[in-house]
Amino acid sequence: MSAPLPDLLAPAEKAKAASARARRSGWTRALRLWIPAGFLILLVAACFIWPHIYPVPKPVGGSVLNAGLPPLSPGHVFGTDPVGNDVFSRILYGGQVSFEVGLAVTAIGLVAGGLLGMAAGYWGGAADTVISRVLDVLIAFPALVLALAIAEGLGPSEVHVIWALAVFSIPATGRIARGATIGLRDQTFMLAARLSGTRGWRVIARHVVPNIMPQLMTFSLLGIGVIIILEGALSFLGLGIPLPEASWGSMIAQGQQSLSASPDLVLIPSAFLFATVLALNLLSDALRERWSL
Amino acid sequence: MTEALLEVTDLRVTFADRGRQIRAVDGVSYPVYAGQTLAIVGESGSGKTVSCRAVIGLLPPSAVITGSARFAGTELVGLTDDQLREHRGANIAMVFQDPARSLNPTMRIGTQIAEAVRTHRRVSKAQAREQAVELLRLVHMPLPERRCEEYPHQLSGGMRQRVMIAIALACRPRLLIADEATTALDVTTQAQIMELLLELQAELGMALMLISHDLGLAASYADEVIVMYAGRIVEQAPAARLFEQVRMPYTQALFEAIPRLERPAHTPLPVIGGRPPDAATRLQGCSFAPRCRRAADDCRAAAPPLAEHEPGHRWACWHPVGVADAG
Amino acid sequence: MPDNPAPDNPAPDDPVPLLRVRDLVHEFRTKEGTLHAVSGVSFDVQPGETLGIVGETGSGKSTLARSIVQAPRPTSGEVIFRGADLVTLHGTRLLQARRHLQMVFQDPFGSLDPKWKVRNLVEEPLIAYRAGDRTTRRRRVNEVLELVGLDPAGHGGRRPRELSGGQAQRVAIARAIALNPALVICDEAVSSLDVLIQAQVLNLFERLRAGLGLSYLFIAHDLALVKQVSDRVAVMYLGKLCEVGPGEAVYRQPLHPYTRALLDSVPGSPQARTAKTIRGEPPSPVHPPSGCRFRTRCPRAEQRCADEAPPMRELAAGHSVACHFPLVQMARAPVRSEEKIGEAPR
Repeated sequence: MSAPLPDLLAPAEKAKAASARARRSGWTRALRLWIPAGFLILLVAACFIWPHIYPVPKPVGGSVLNAGLPPLSPGHVFGTDPVGNDVFSRILYGGQVSFEVGLAVTAIGLVAGGLLGMAAGYWGGAADTVISRVLDVLIAFPALVLALAIAEGLGPSEVHVIWALAVFSIPATGRIARGATIGLRDQTFMLAARLSGTRGWRVIARHVVPNIMPQLMTFSLLGIGVIIILEGALSFLGLGIPLPEASWGSMIAQGQQSLSASPDLVLIPSAFLFATVLALNLLSDALRERWSL
Repeated sequence: MTEALLEVTDLRVTFADRGRQIRAVDGVSYPVYAGQTLAIVGESGSGKTVSCRAVIGLLPPSAVITGSARFAGTELVGLTDDQLREHRGANIAMVFQDPARSLNPTMRIGTQIAEAVRTHRRVSKAQAREQAVELLRLVHMPLPERRCEEYPHQLSGGMRQRVMIAIALACRPRLLIADEATTALDVTTQAQIMELLLELQAELGMALMLISHDLGLAASYADEVIVMYAGRIVEQAPAARLFEQVRMPYTQALFEAIPRLERPAHTPLPVIGGRPPDAATRLQGCSFAPRCRRAADDCRAAAPPLAEHEPGHRWACWHPVGVADAG
Repeated sequence: MPDNPAPDNPAPDDPVPLLRVRDLVHEFRTKEGTLHAVSGVSFDVQPGETLGIVGETGSGKSTLARSIVQAPRPTSGEVIFRGADLVTLHGTRLLQARRHLQMVFQDPFGSLDPKWKVRNLVEEPLIAYRAGDRTTRRRRVNEVLELVGLDPAGHGGRRPRELSGGQAQRVAIARAIALNPALVICDEAVSSLDVLIQAQVLNLFERLRAGLGLSYLFIAHDLALVKQVSDRVAVMYLGKLCEVGPGEAVYRQPLHPYTRALLDSVPGSPQARTAKTIRGEPPSPVHPPSGCRFRTRCPRAEQRCADEAPPMRELAAGHSVACHFPLVQMARAPVRSEEKIGEAPR
């Protein structure tokens, strides 16, 4: 026997939850992980790969002759918008934008925020004070106001949206990283690593990062959902992806104008937005469950 | 006193864990008499704690308990949670290892003890409060009234354990189970707490069950000692007898492995290798055979039964220590 | 391959100690006041010797261990290891000086990074100190794993949660000896293990001591355990040393009342005189008693014990005690005395 016996003596209430969890284990747990994961993988693949392997109508420059077609029309499975663009392809290209922004902002947050948070948590003292104040300042910036300022000043574009949202994502991740690092700092194996001679950044890279990664990953997955929604909001306000480029947010904004006549112009991008964020949340939950057991 | 206060017969406890069946307790039988101190000794995984918790129903719902545990004639195995709760505290009480985790850190000491009193007795809050002070006096807590106002973190480990004992005694149980109650304490505090338990036992006429991995503790404080290994009882005898003449090679190995003050420094401890068997696999023969110096083919073929080979002394071994045979 | 072989074992009467601790003080600031964890501790560890330190909760023994390795640094005092005072060193120089000083901790799983594999854990000090190239390091890892009784092929690729408590502690020991240290500090290194596994690991410590010429500072709360592995034993109470001497001498002729109380409290000891030898609760290290810190629980305490702290005096060869009224007053004059000789016992 190599693995130690599991803790069989948990008090009754905790054990009730544990045995309920144990009952749901096995294939139900796997399903709760792979259904959202599978959905997301399919969606990302569809948005990025489909247009290259299967011809779809262009998302812009549609002919007015095709304007306002309802869903399930021949050649336009989701119909067309008032300008004649194919909704389905706008969904795909808009999805590209959503995922690009979501992933880019989250990646920046993970790297920059993660580094800052780990440095603050590990070294403490003056470094912690300075970094924490910087993070506090960043997080105090209202994202929308900042995006407005950037859009006004520099003109709306995908890259600018990424910058604006990164200002929000860096301190959010940074705080999580700092808290997790502080929790780890006093563990005996950290002292043992230092006594083995490993120093400074090497300790952080080889000991802190692998141990806080699960927490950061689950947080970041939730964060992607939030970023996608924020991008949608920014584009809805006209501060994000400029028209006529497709973005789920701007599609919703546009569709608002013909809400009574063709509600599907709002419902379809909304549904995709909703499903994506829901899948990200479910995936994050499933991963958290798997990694903390 | 011929009628046992607690009679455990062929108690078995199994858990299902990720598809495997874990046999934590594998057929355990013993009596506990009023006024007696019984020690159950074993390493972690031997089943000693699980068997006692099975008796008073503190195991998770996934545990399957078979066999019998009769307390003063009433069968405890198979009772519902509510029925067992009545027995807990009123008849059988338990003191655990880590008082820091068993006491509510946000409640004052006095409140916690009073709550225990009111769980089993219909008394007013004021009366319960008085009884709390009395109980603290009973466990020799200095300045009991002041202690009642304090929180657990303000007390030392020894004092917290006294509070746990006071809570356990709230309704004068007839059987007190101390589950590694002194393991986390310093040796000087341990001695004080053990003295206290024995004194209370004499005063209140309780039966006391000590669960421990410390054979020395059992030697000093128990009347009767049971040694468990891999879910079964492998030896049982009055304490004095056991330490005079140990029969089971496992018990002997436990003795030899304990550092002794009398031994000169740097002498290697006689020790056996290996580890207890996986609780999920059932061995055909004696579960100790893979590690036993005296093991022979008959040991691996069939598990020896637990039998009273000498008056008052039971063991389960084909080739016990010190018995003149082919061992 | 480590660049320094194990230090030669000098002749027993070589006066240069491997570790020399002088007046070590470690205080923490807490809400309730200053916590006096270690208050002026001095001792030597000779090369090849095992010094055991016995202390209960609150004695400060673990803080002492951490102070010695400068993690965190003590408030004041000297820690002279192989001629260099660790307290005054920083950065790379501290790292180099500390190379021959290693530590094994109480919780076998807590001291191993749960995400790392066994062979990487053991290799870590070799990498940090640049002890050889990749092949040499791997060879040393296998060598050391076998020394502690593990199988490099079978166990090397496992993670700590796949090991038992005894195996995990062996990995920690392997990591500690990988660089061939001179001194290993064992901070309750076997206290979390079951009695049979504990015995196995103790035997391992002995084998390594004999085979590699290691010195140990062995810290535990179990007096019998400490005496089993040590040449000399030091008893610690509330931040100070009460008594230091050869293990047998401390056992057969304890000089300090606290040592007596510890001996009496061991279950199964022939003299069960706890009721007479110790009373009360340990005081808080935030407000230690004045003078002798043990006086509030000592049956022999007098006014003098409250007024002045007793200094450590050598009453027999190598056997010192810090007590105004030690249990046995030796007839012959002490070798090194800071007090006047021949005080009548009470």
